[in-house]
Amino acid sequence: MSTAMQFYVSNLLVYLGVDVMACLGLNLQFGVAGIVNFAFIIFQAAGAYTAAVLTLGSSSAGGGFQSYIGGARLPFPVPFLAAAVVGGLLSLLVGLVALRKLRTDYQAMVMLVISLIATTVATNATGLVNGSNGLATIPKPLQSVLGLSLVGYQWVYVAITFAFCALVWVGVHRITSSPLGRTLRAVRDNEAAAGALGKNVTVLRLVAFVTGGAIAGLSGAILVQFISAWSPGSWLFPESFVYFAALIVGGSGNNVGAAVGALLVPVAFLESTRYIPQFGYPGLVDALQWVVVGLLTLTVMWFRPKGVFPERPGRFARRAQVP
Amino acid sequence: MSLFVLSIGFGLITASILAIASVGFTLQFGVTNILNLAYGDVMTGAAFIAYLVTRAGGSLWAALLAGAITGSLASYVLNRFLYTPFVRHGTRLFGMIIVTISVSLVLQNGLQAIFGASFFSLVLPRTASYGFAGMIFTGQQLLIMGIAVVAMAVVHSLLSYTRLGRAMRATAADPELARGCGVATDRVVGVAWLMSGALCGIAGVTLVMNVTSFSSTTGGSFLIPVVAAAVLGGVGHPYGAMIGALVIGLASEVSAAFVNPAYKEVVAFGVLVVVLLVRPQGIFAEIATQKEVVA
Repeated sequence: MSTAMQFYVSNLLVYLGVDVMACLGLNLQFGVAGIVNFAFIIFQAAGAYTAAVLTLGSSSAGGGFQSYIGGARLPFPVPFLAAAVVGGLLSLLVGLVALRKLRTDYQAMVMLVISLIATTVATNATGLVNGSNGLATIPKPLQSVLGLSLVGYQWVYVAITFAFCALVWVGVHRITSSPLGRTLRAVRDNEAAAGALGKNVTVLRLVAFVTGGAIAGLSGAILVQFISAWSPGSWLFPESFVYFAALIVGGSGNNVGAAVGALLVPVAFLESTRYIPQFGYPGLVDALQWVVVGLLTLTVMWFRPKGVFPERPGRFARRAQVP
Repeated sequence: MSLFVLSIGFGLITASILAIASVGFTLQFGVTNILNLAYGDVMTGAAFIAYLVTRAGGSLWAALLAGAITGSLASYVLNRFLYTPFVRHGTRLFGMIIVTISVSLVLQNGLQAIFGASFFSLVLPRTASYGFAGMIFTGQQLLIMGIAVVAMAVVHSLLSYTRLGRAMRATAADPELARGCGVATDRVVGVAWLMSGALCGIAGVTLVMNVTSFSSTTGGSFLIPVVAAAVLGGVGHPYGAMIGALVIGLASEVSAAFVNPAYKEVVAFGVLVVVLLVRPQGIFAEIATQKEVVA
């Protein structure tokens, strides 16, 4: 492979890992627990900013050209873990307010509005995370320690991404295949019945929401340390919708479906087409891409409403015959 | 103090546009229970048609009429050939949200692909400004408020005093029962979408009359205040939407005078979140919380 090709492939692989992680997190929240989290992207953003601030050093270090809260220079895995913690804590905060008994569509509206409020505040409160310019020159983990070539380091980062991705996969799979996962599905399918069986619906939802939020934060951290820059423009509401589209195409409620959705929608449609030669005026290709994502979602909603890999119906062990 | 009065004037204009838009939005929701998140982009479409009309030398009235017709037809077609089939196909509340967001993406980016990612403004004659009790309005802003008042009066008399209005309210309250009583609910739903679409189109044109320039995302970003106003008044309730529009319009513009104007939408959204959490059924409690979509 030529060097350019290696860069291209490794870039896509990192994006794939990040998107698979994000889709798994959202699948836990939406596919399994039925929470319509249209604010998903802000938890990813929160994780990204946390990781950025914890690796950039103090605000005045880089000549003070960008301003942000806090600032530290922590070693490799710590910023990632902190990002997950912040994503989880923010989810806890939002969840305590928003996960009330609301109609699905109203809850979706609340989440959408929270997403818009967060974008407005982060864009205008310049002292928080440098306003609309966002943060830049975020250092990459271990780059100075390893001393590899640029291409070599790309592959190391792919490995790091996939390692975290595998960790998330195992974690999410253990939840969804456990009694907890079954209970969450029960809450999703019939809240009243689950409540009547003595399940604490609110706490269960909160558990799924916070876990999903922590995964979102982690995925954001991995993405931001790779691309070294992050601004409010990259976490607008449509980005959340891309993950929803991925789940719907892949099959929500099914982890394999979530991963395949991540491969099909964000990676195949939105990332790889970046290298199609631009035609027309600047922005035309982007607009057409979004049109295609919309049409694709509509098509799948019509022909395969449960996605390419539908959630598998529950299997129960055959009961012993009662004499 | 004068700043306060001035901002009330701005608030009234915003409230007028919001009222037209949110009454249309709430009618669609009330009759079919579909939260049409593509509403803002239909507004943008109507605005673009109005822009083409004014550029071709048409008057403002011609532009408003063209916008109303565009909104009307687009909404009817969307409901008749996309939303209704999806609902009959078995798509439920959440699924319909995804469907309408997808439509919104297609419309918004389709408009951007056609017209380009730049800014446009209606070609309007300059009008004099009028002062009134410390508030200042341009002729066009007075026209916007006039249109809003007329539109509200028309909606009110239609719903209250005509057979069609009664049929609409019956369909909104209980479609099965209405059908059983001999209401042709299909036709009523069709008329409701034509009518709300016309309001949507007019709202789109008045929205871009009031700003210096607009783009393919203008309507989409106006949607959230519209939804906020509709939900504040209790979705599906036209009078609630009018009051909601007044509250949201005044709250956002008056707060803009005293805090950073960038946060004025945050104030409007904050009102929405608080209302939803405290009183999910809106100011006027009428719509049951468990209602499903109907076709």
